[in-house]
Order: sequence, then C-alpha cells, then structure tokens
Amino acid sequence: MTEKQGGLRGWAAGRKGNLSRLRFTSLRLRLVVVFGLVALTAAVSASGIAYWLNREAVLTRAQDAVLRDFRQEMQNRAGALPEHPTQDQLQRAAGQMAASSQRFSVLLVAQDTGGKTVYGNSGGINGFALEDVPKTLRTAVNRQQKVTDANKEPYHLYWQRVVEHGTPYLVAGTQVIGGGPTGYMAKSLEPEAKDLNSLAWSLGIATGLALIGAALLAQAAATTVLKPVHRLGVAARRLGEGRLDTRLRVSGTDELADLSRTFNNAAEALEKRVAEMAARDDASRRFVADMSHELRTPLTAITAVTEVLEEELEAESGSMDPMIEPAVRLVVSETRRLNDLVENLMEVTRFDAGTARLVLDDVDLADQITACIDARAWLDAVDLDAERGIHARIDPRRLDVILANLIGNALKHGGSPVRVSVRVSDAQDADVVIQVRDHGPGIPEDVLPHVFDRFYKASASRPRSEGSGLGLSIAMENAHIHGGEITAANSPDGGAVFTLRLPRDGSRLTEEPDEGERNGDGGAGNPGETGGSGSSGKEGS
Amino acid sequence: MGQNVRVPSLLLIEDDDAIRTALELSLTRQGHRVATAASGEDGLKLLREQRPDLIVLDVMLPGIDGFEVCRRIRRTDQLPIILLTARSDDIDVVVGLESGADDYVVKPIQGRVLDARIRAVLRRGERESSDAATFGSLVIDRSAMTVTKNGEDLQLTPTELRLLLELSRRPGQALSRQQLLRLVWEHDYLGDSRLVDACVQRLRAKVEDVPSSPTLIRTVRGVGYRLDSPQ
Repeated sequence: MTEKQGGLRGWAAGRKGNLSRLRFTSLRLRLVVVFGLVALTAAVSASGIAYWLNREAVLTRAQDAVLRDFRQEMQNRAGALPEHPTQDQLQRAAGQMAASSQRFSVLLVAQDTGGKTVYGNSGGINGFALEDVPKTLRTAVNRQQKVTDANKEPYHLYWQRVVEHGTPYLVAGTQVIGGGPTGYMAKSLEPEAKDLNSLAWSLGIATGLALIGAALLAQAAATTVLKPVHRLGVAARRLGEGRLDTRLRVSGTDELADLSRTFNNAAEALEKRVAEMAARDDASRRFVADMSHELRTPLTAITAVTEVLEEELEAESGSMDPMIEPAVRLVVSETRRLNDLVENLMEVTRFDAGTARLVLDDVDLADQITACIDARAWLDAVDLDAERGIHARIDPRRLDVILANLIGNALKHGGSPVRVSVRVSDAQDADVVIQVRDHGPGIPEDVLPHVFDRFYKASASRPRSEGSGLGLSIAMENAHIHGGEITAANSPDGGAVFTLRLPRDGSRLTEEPDEGERNGDGGAGNPGETGGSGSSGKEGS
Repeated sequence: MGQNVRVPSLLLIEDDDAIRTALELSLTRQGHRVATAASGEDGLKLLREQRPDLIVLDVMLPGIDGFEVCRRIRRTDQLPIILLTARSDDIDVVVGLESGADDYVVKPIQGRVLDARIRAVLRRGERESSDAATFGSLVIDRSAMTVTKNGEDLQLTPTELRLLLELSRRPGQALSRQQLLRLVWEHDYLGDSRLVDACVQRLRAKVEDVPSSPTLIRTVRGVGYRLDSPQ
C-alpha cells in the first residue's frame, strides 16, 4: 500500500466520517451524547453543591459579623439610653450605631416620657423606616417570651433576609433587655450577592467548558474507535469487490488490532482458496481447450474421409451393400455433429481464455441476415422484416454465428414461421435491435433464466436435441464481445422472442489505429461453418 | 470440370499421417494430382523437384514450421499457398497471411471447402482477354498477365495480381473488403476481411513507391480500397 493510496483512503475516510457524523444513530453521535451527558451531570452536580456551600458560608459569615456588631452596638449605645429617651437622643444613638464598621442602617424605636413613640434613624439615602421592617419580624421582636431554664432572656434578636427593589437586605431587630428602645438594622447584602453571582457565572462557564471538553474527548474517542472500524469497512468492501489482496495495517494490541488481524487472516485464507479454485478452474479450462484441440486432428482426417464416403453414398444408390449403407450414413451424420460440437467447444474455450477477437467490417444488416438465412436454406421458413441501408460496424462472422444460432433455435423449438426484425432508433450511437420471434409454445418460465447456460437441457427426459447445447451460450458470448446483449422472453401473443442488441459501432471496443492498415490481432475468421448446413465454398468448373 | 484438361498438381505438406492420408484421398478424388511431404524440409525439396501448381501447407510442422516454409517459398517463388491452420491459435491466421499465404482453411477441414479454395486460387492465374492499363508508372497487361513498374517486371502472386486486376477494372471506384473477397478469393458472404488487408499490404510493398504512404492503392475509410492514378 503506497502513500498515495493511504492518503486517498484517509480523505475518503474523512468524508465518510462527516457523513456518518450526520447520521442520527451513528456511533459517533451516541458517544458524543453519552460523554456530554456524563460531563453535564458531573459538572452540574459539582457546581451546584459548590455554589450552595459557598453561598451558605459567605452569607452566614457576613450575617454573623453584622449581627454580632448590631448586638454589641445595641448593648453599648441603646442600652446606655434612658428608658424614655427623647427623639434627639434616639437619633444620635442611631447615628453612632450606624457609624460602626459594618455600615448598616439603624432604626431605634422607643417611647418618650410623654408615652409618645419616638424614632431614631441613622438616616442614609433610603431612610430606614419602620415600614421597611417586615411585620413578622416586628412581631417576633416585640413578643416577650417566658423565661425558663432553656430560655434565659425574655427578648431575642431576630433576623430575616428580604429583597427590595432587587437588592437583598439583612434585616434584624431586638429589644434591649430590661426596658429600652427596640432597635432594627438593615444591611445590604449586595456585595455578597455580587460575589455569589460571579461565582455562579464562573461555575456555569466551567460547566460549559467541561461539556465542550467532553464532546471533544468523545470525538477523539469515536475517531480512534471508528477510524479502524471504517478502515475495516472499506477493506471489507474492497474484498467484496474481488480485490482479494486487500490487507489492513495492524498497529497496537487492542481489540481493534485483533479484529484487523482476524480480517487479514480471513482475507488471506480467502485469497488462497480463490486462487486454488481459479487454478483448478484454469486447469480444467485448459484441459477442455487442449482436448478439443487434440480432437481436431483425428477429426480432420475423419471428416476428409467421411466426405469420400458421403460422395459414394450420393453417387449411385445400390453401389453399396444395403447392410453397410445405414452404417455409413450414421458415421457421416455423426461425424458432422462431432465436428460442430468440437467447433463450438473450441469457440467456447476461446471466449473463456479471453483470446476471442473482433474482426470488424461495415455491413448492411439486412444483406447480412439475408445471406445468413439463404446460406442455410431457411428462406422459406423465415420472415425478414428489415430495411436495407442499416449499416453497422460489427464482426460479420460473429453476427452470423449469433443469427444462425438464434434462428436455428427458433426453427427447431418454435417452428416456422420465424420472424426476424431489425430496428434502430434515430438517436446518435443507438443500438441495433434484432428480434427473432417464433410461433412455438414459448419457453417455460423456469427454463427462461437458463436458456443461455451451457449444455442446459430443459429436462433430462427430453430427447437429445440436434444442437451441441452450446449454441445459445456462444451466441451470447458473441454478443458480449461486441458490447451487446441477448435477452430471451415470451411474447404475450405466444412464442419465444430473442432480442439481440448490438452497438452500431463495435470499433470502440477495439483499438485499431487505421482500419485500412489493420493486420494485427484480428479475430478468428472461419467462413461458413456454423450451424452445419453452411454453403461454404463453390464447386469449381 | 471438362474444360480444364491439365490436372492441377498439388503439394500437400502435413505432418500428421492420418490427415495427410485422408486429405490425399479426398483431394485425389476431387481430381487433383497430389504429392505429399511430412515435413517442411521434405516439402521444400519436393517443391524444387516437382514444381506443383499450388501448395497446401500445415502450419504446425516439426522442424521449420509452416510460416517459415511459406516465407522461404515466397523469397523465390510466387506459387499460390493455402495454409491449414488451427483456428484457436488466432494469431496463426495473421502471421500466416503476413508470411505470404494466399488463403487459409481452418481445421477440422472439410474436403469440399479446401477443394473450392484450391480451385479459386488456381483460377486467379488464368488469363483474361483484355488490354493494358496504365496507372502512373505502373502498367498492367491483362492479356500477358504481367505488371511492370518503370519498365521492370513485378513478381506478383496470382492472388496479388488478381486483386490488382479487380481494382484496376474499376479505377477510382471504392471496393469493399467483402466485394473483394468475393471477386478475388471467391469466398462466400462470410469471408475474412484480413485476407484483403494482408494482400493489400503485400501488393503495396511491391507496387507503391513508398508503401507506407500509398498513392495508387488508397484506403477508403469505412468502405475498403480504391485504385487511383497518381495526380
């Protein structure tokens, strides 16, 4: 395997990969989805837990610090106030309390000596008022509780988180024990919220990154798995196409390498088997070729002598022993059959060996068909429907073989009249279509696919036919070498129809520099010997 | 057969005893005088002694093969030669025609076919009653059956001569290969067009000034050949 091939295959694999990535059920997609889900679950749960813990820690710490300060301030400042302070005193105390390090807003509520409720406010932009304190908190703060062992104080410090205008606040309140003002504080938690927000963002981004990373990893994993799988697929396809020398490069020791090794072993075994079979096939083919070749030599001698016998028979009846005469006739006719058989056998072996060649010539199809029919004395039995002037560049001898076999077959099995028609469409480079139709019983459906098989007999009980059993198969081979085709069918009106389709110009199949100078590897030329009753040769004067 | 008083004598060169005997028997019955040889060397020796009218030559011979025999005969002689070939050896036909054979018959041979071919080849040498024709420096004397180029006699085989005569009878007119096969070789409708091509090649080699760019015997694409007077 060369570099170039490898590159090409890589490119093909890439393209294939793109295609399979698009497929919804592809392994790659499934891997990506699974990886993504795993990454998502892990990232989301980890970030969620982290966020929650962080949030609690941050809020609690901030809250604790604020509340501690508030309590301290309440004790120090509010506790120091008289039981019924004036508005001014309250206001000042609130201002002092708010000035502590935590910077919360403070609201002090007390009753002055006149029993009027007075408010001390730390001020600030929003102006912290009693309405800003949730009712529930106020109630909880003002409720006096029983003093027990577990609960040593009648009042407690309560706090609540509220969100106002999108800003979170911590609101807390308490009373000074032993009579004093009720104090409320509000502290914006915005900085903490901002911190938590940015934490959430970072965690979200981290999750996203983890997802992308998972997808990339999945891709990589899919590629490492799928590439060898794809290579295996390509190799298997090539093997299926008959390129038995296809092998995979084995790298690594994983399961895929094992698979590749198994594939290679299988391919090797297959190649060996096929080679063995091909060799056996070749041998038997060569044997048939040699055999028919060898048969020809004695057959030539026998044929030559048989003709002498035949002439003796035809000369004057009675000159031969009546006991011997049928024997001589049998020898003569069987020799002719044997001749045809050997001839056909050799034709077949030539096709098998691929040594058959076309000898092209321009012919008028109507003339050619007429000559073929005429030469075999079939003119009365064949109805030719062909216009003169349809020219084609074909091998006339091979066309003759095809026609002789098709028409001969039609006459033998279908009976006359046999209709031969030639059609050619007007299109450029259109095929010539020659139809041979008989008026017999047609071909049984189960025989139809086998009519072109060698030595195929419709049934074993059928009487031995005149032909060699190779005729239609040879006709088919002759059509193929022209780049044409023969099909067999039954006509709806009864009778079998054989359709021969030939390209008008067969020279595309052979490379000949100049038709006038062609003297190279032409085809076998053997005038008029097919079908037995050829009229080859003329009697000399 | 009556008018031909002289019985044509043939030389059959064939190594297989059975075929040789059978063909000798068959051809003798057809009215030929047959001499036989079992090898190319014997055949060439016999040829010098007897001077037959025609040679029937098997391609597959022990020692020097049929093609070589054909080539050696052609070096000195324009005798008609018919090859017996095995058709499965497709290249045989081409090589045979290139080595100078006039015609070929494929095994298994039908005696009648061989006889017809022999008679057709022999007829080519028969004289015609006609005058002379001139094509440039080429002069064809139909009555004397001679062809001269620039006054020099050309050694043409009967087949080459007959081909030239048929072409010269219709100067400027294209003749198809099949037509020529019928006229010259007397083949039936299924003649092998390579016979024509091979013979034209040989004829050009003798007749044309530059055989590779012929001015007399021109190829007509898709049809066949034509004899022109050089411009």
